[in-house]
Amino acid sequence: MAGNVEVAHRVQPTSSRLTLPKLGEGFAQVVPALILILLLFNVPLVIMLGWSFYPLETPLANYEQIFTRSIYLKVIGNTFYIAALTTVACCLLGYPLCYWMWRLSPRWRLIIASIVVLTFWVSILVRTYAWIVILGNDGIVNRLLLTWGLIDSSVSFLYNQTGVIIGTTNVLLPFMVLPLFAAMMRLDRRILLAAETLGAPKGVIFWKIFFPLTLPSLAAGAILIFILTLGFFITPAILGGGRVPMIANMMDLLINRLPRWELAAAISGVLLVFTMIFFAGYQWLNNRQQAS
Amino acid sequence: MTRALLGAAGLAGSLMLGTTLAFAQVSEIRMIEAGGPSGESIEVGYIKPFTEKTGIRVVRENPAGLGKVRAMVESRNVTAPITELSSSELEQAKALDLLDPLDWDAIDPAPIYEEAIDEYGLGWQYYSTIMAWREGEKPLTSWADMWDVDNFPGARSFPDYPNYILPMALLADGVPVEELYPLDMDRAFAKLEEIKDHVAVWWEAGAQPPQLLQDNEVQYVAAWSGRVTDVEGVEYTFEQGQLDLTYFAIPKGASEEAKEAVYQLMHVMTIAENQAAAADIVSYTGPSQDLDPLLPQDRITKYPTVQQNRDVQFFIDAQWWFDNAEEVELRWQEFKLGL
Repeated sequence: MAGNVEVAHRVQPTSSRLTLPKLGEGFAQVVPALILILLLFNVPLVIMLGWSFYPLETPLANYEQIFTRSIYLKVIGNTFYIAALTTVACCLLGYPLCYWMWRLSPRWRLIIASIVVLTFWVSILVRTYAWIVILGNDGIVNRLLLTWGLIDSSVSFLYNQTGVIIGTTNVLLPFMVLPLFAAMMRLDRRILLAAETLGAPKGVIFWKIFFPLTLPSLAAGAILIFILTLGFFITPAILGGGRVPMIANMMDLLINRLPRWELAAAISGVLLVFTMIFFAGYQWLNNRQQAS
Repeated sequence: MTRALLGAAGLAGSLMLGTTLAFAQVSEIRMIEAGGPSGESIEVGYIKPFTEKTGIRVVRENPAGLGKVRAMVESRNVTAPITELSSSELEQAKALDLLDPLDWDAIDPAPIYEEAIDEYGLGWQYYSTIMAWREGEKPLTSWADMWDVDNFPGARSFPDYPNYILPMALLADGVPVEELYPLDMDRAFAKLEEIKDHVAVWWEAGAQPPQLLQDNEVQYVAAWSGRVTDVEGVEYTFEQGQLDLTYFAIPKGASEEAKEAVYQLMHVMTIAENQAAAADIVSYTGPSQDLDPLLPQDRITKYPTVQQNRDVQFFIDAQWWFDNAEEVELRWQEFKLGL
């Protein structure tokens, strides 16, 4: 009896030395691309981060400046704040849109999805400037509101935080909608059907079954939008009117105007660390969602 | 036989050397300039006669900035041997050791104002930062008026560059022009705090203020003169304006041949007739002392350096800006963050 058990649970003999992980087939074919990426991306990145440690006699001088002079942290904080607001706006707008798309007939689903994809084809710059025409003091929205008598004088939609968030949400919404929509399509409708036959009301089906199943994809999309907003330059520059300081605009000042490249490199390093932490979260959520 | 051979070799060698020295000439140089109508004025006023005279083409790049200069110098690949710098940028570039000194004997300038001759730069264009407003709004006569939102209601737009707005804040606070520099930063920033809620846009591009005025997005601006003097529906005044000079300089490490070409181009820039042609495109003036009579007389009031305008303006103190650059920039960012 014991012998049978031993045979059934035969243990692999462990070797006494460490073995390298198997690289997998086709690694040799990947090497040229790997070298290209290392040379063109990683090496310059490391060199740039190296600059942040100049002057070499006081390598941490730049980092010290970032953490002692409050304005740099304030700008980073403001950027995170705007990124958070944009993420919330995209979630609140994107999820209902996806749900509505999911419930349409296949033909209408295709049409609406094409419209969403079409916005990608319009350049970001054009879209951003279009907001100036629409939301400006003399723009379409204000003129309509004034003629309808809803307001006495123009509302400032632009050149403040509101304008920037409208602009970034508009540009980043497809990044939320498309993956979320794909996740909803991957859902097995028979689960919902089964719940219905078991007598669950519509509300319960949505909140207890549908929503939790799409939540990982929503969260992954949210993190993606957050990371993308952190690096946004053109929309805050144009729609912010110089009144909404975000990291990318500060970097433009430090790199092109001053130029204080060492400090810019240090700020880049700090931002990189923050972003990698968030990206790790994104990967973890993504893996969980693939497994489900 | 050997001696003859050596002699022949020596002759050939020196001929070749002579050829390299005498005929080595670039066929094209690149220029970094600020762009916009100012860039077009360079094309018409200076590049055309230069290319006609020497056959060397000039390719313009824009916009200008210290970032580009530093990149070229540090990578030891000076692709553009002539670059435009504002007065404070010139001082900063000198401190960062980014420029080569100019050989004024080689440039051999026509008579130009003393202030346009700098060891490292040629002051080639006068421009002003002045007040402008939408046609129909109450006209301004001083920066104090600009700060007076009760009597002159409306949104403002100011430059996002401290050197184009800080002195104006002090003037608005009643500091006499003679006592302007060195600037009292605390007082200037306190005065800016007063108006900041009414500043709708802090502009970065020279084209923004006239566009904002035309769109009725704002009603009063502080803008560069050449951008607002020729625009429909926009009125302006040179009163209490800041006169400034912008320079062309040579980044460190430019090749000798390229520098030869640049000196010739700079000579062309000092000639009054060429400056008049440039002034026809955009209302800025060159450094020549004989320029005034050559300017279009029907538009004479639009130019920053004609006597009547020079008298009411103040000149920027580039040295002060350079000395205090870092602190000003930090305080400027803090001020903007408090918006």
